[in-house]
Amino acid sequence: MRRARRVAERQRPLWMLAPGGVLLVLVVGVPLAVAGQISLLDLDQYTFRQWLDAPFVGLDNYVEAVRDSSLPHAIWVSTAYAVIVTLVTLPVGVAAALAAHDRFTGRGLVRSVLLVPYVLPAFVVGTVWRVILQPDGVADAAVGRAGLDAGLWLNGPRSFWALVIVQAWTAWPLLYLLTLAGLQTVDPEVHEAAAIDGAGWWVKLRRLIFPYLRGPVALGLVITFLHSVNNFTLPYVLFGVPSPRDVEVLPVLTYVESFQNFRFGLSAAMAVFSLGVVAVPLLGYLRAVRLT
Amino acid sequence: MKAIRGAIALLLGSALLTACGSDGGGGTDGAGKTLDVLIGANTIYPEQQREWFDEVSATFKAQTGATVRFETFATPNDELTRIQTSVLSGQGPDVYALGTTFTPTAYATKAFVELSAEDWGKLGGRDKFLPSTLGISGPDEQHEVGVPFTSRPFVMAYNKDLLAKAGFDKPADSWDGLRDQARKLTSAGVYGLAVAYADSFDPWKFIWAMSLQAGNPLVDGGKARLDDPTTAAAYRTYLGWVATDKVVDPAAVGWKNAQAIAAFGAGKAAFLPMVSATSKVTLDKSAVAGRYGYAIMPTIPPGATALPAGGSGAASILSGDNLVVASYSKDKDLALAFVKMLTDVEAQRSYYKTFGELPTNAALAAELQADPALAAMVESSSKAVGTPFTGAWSQIQLALVNVVVQSVPALSSGTVDSAKLDALIKQAQSTAQGALDKAK
Repeated sequence: MRRARRVAERQRPLWMLAPGGVLLVLVVGVPLAVAGQISLLDLDQYTFRQWLDAPFVGLDNYVEAVRDSSLPHAIWVSTAYAVIVTLVTLPVGVAAALAAHDRFTGRGLVRSVLLVPYVLPAFVVGTVWRVILQPDGVADAAVGRAGLDAGLWLNGPRSFWALVIVQAWTAWPLLYLLTLAGLQTVDPEVHEAAAIDGAGWWVKLRRLIFPYLRGPVALGLVITFLHSVNNFTLPYVLFGVPSPRDVEVLPVLTYVESFQNFRFGLSAAMAVFSLGVVAVPLLGYLRAVRLT
Repeated sequence: MKAIRGAIALLLGSALLTACGSDGGGGTDGAGKTLDVLIGANTIYPEQQREWFDEVSATFKAQTGATVRFETFATPNDELTRIQTSVLSGQGPDVYALGTTFTPTAYATKAFVELSAEDWGKLGGRDKFLPSTLGISGPDEQHEVGVPFTSRPFVMAYNKDLLAKAGFDKPADSWDGLRDQARKLTSAGVYGLAVAYADSFDPWKFIWAMSLQAGNPLVDGGKARLDDPTTAAAYRTYLGWVATDKVVDPAAVGWKNAQAIAAFGAGKAAFLPMVSATSKVTLDKSAVAGRYGYAIMPTIPPGATALPAGGSGAASILSGDNLVVASYSKDKDLALAFVKMLTDVEAQRSYYKTFGELPTNAALAAELQADPALAAMVESSSKAVGTPFTGAWSQIQLALVNVVVQSVPALSSGTVDSAKLDALIKQAQSTAQGALDKAK
């Protein structure tokens, strides 16, 4: 048996994957290698012109990023908010999918409307929410009407929750979409069999439907987390630069180091750290779905 | 290792190639040549800008036989990306129009032509320009890259009706005086001042001006001086307007510059400091059209009634655009001829008439000074002072704004928390010093 498989493996024309492989190396490998190299250089506005001759500083950029920059704080903020967003969007997305799954009049319209937050460009979402969350804006008026203290949403401690709310608002339709796709794969005969056996809705949901959803929902959670961690546009448009301390997220910090402070080396080191942050859940997911 | 680096450079270079090229050769006989020029897109007058491009191209073609190809960038970030790409690949536009505060950074990259005495001669001589506008062309007269092209000095708009009603004939010339006037003018939904606390750029300009007027230029040689008491006083004054003096709408802690202009345009504020002539377009369509004027901002620092010894009566940062020639340009003389044309009286007049931006050409500026509507602008332009000329300036600028951003949440308590402010200033000082230490 084992030997047979080896023979089969030997006969695979792997060279036919070469075009894809070359493309991957060019599009992913080379930029990654360059970023890695830049992170070891003291590259800034003074050395930028002859960047290959910028002084080699070894791991100094990494040390500086950890010791003398806001990087640890930014990693904490980014991870915390991404985890919260992921947890918030899960029940909302699944509930919306279950609601839009059954046939009813106007289902197509409802399904399309639910996707609106997801298809709007982040720039538009950020701008609209910025207006809503302004001091004296719509949000404050609503909070004031409820008898609560209207405060700052775009700076200070509440800004973190503003970011969570807005990101969750844009992110949940992805989970809804993937869950809906998962629901479509449930065999109708399974429903019939359950109905004959007299299973209640909760048992049906837990024993029949959820097992079908495990894959798509896991993928949805990973993508939502990665999107949130990597989202630059939304925090940038909502809060501007310099960021309030409570919403100083990784992508904005990296951007500022590169494009406002011109510390390209330091910024590349930070980008390598971000890569580590996103690699953890990704590897977890790949192991879970056994694609490794 | 070398081979790998070479391969990477080659790959990068080929990826970054911007389709453009100037043919070799020299002299200002540009027959058959093309000059590439990168300039900011004018969002207020896009149509007029296209016409101006055509007009300039036609004139230059008649003069030299060369074609001018204009490209625009939409945002400062876009501009930066273009510059980085060109500097890395050694090709791109021949001439760039850069914002003044960005000139020190551009100078630091050494990617732009340092103008020799002979080059200045080709541009029509240094005397052609308003002396103040040359203040941020380089670290000193021997090392300059920027040729002043337009001037956008900052001034203050004031509501004539509100001032007349309160019995003031003109805005005060000191910050303390302005605060006292603002207190009298604040009542019933109208505030004395409209200030954009959440703008990414405005706040540092106030702090810089007040510090400089008190004799602290923020950067002294290679030393940052943000920890000087004058800077803390500037922050306390600026933050105090909304926190303790209550002369600014509390919602202004979330305002960008455009929102401050809108509030003033709606008649909800008596003074609107830190705006340029471009605000005129908006204000002339607003509720206060025809009932507002421009004046220079106060030049006497907080806590003083006269300019202290060692203080500088700066009315504005030196603001506007400089033209720079890329050192990789193969047509340096042609580029210089083009820059000369744009800074001569004719082109400057046409630019002013089209976009309302003030000239840097001394002869034309003198001519415009006679126009009362422009008096404040021209005065501010002549009293403008360049920000410190160091490649570290963009970092220092960001550190200055950061103090304001992190102070905002505590302002609603009705005080400016001294301990917190001092800690933030200390942090800004160390950031600024760190950036200066790296400056080469």
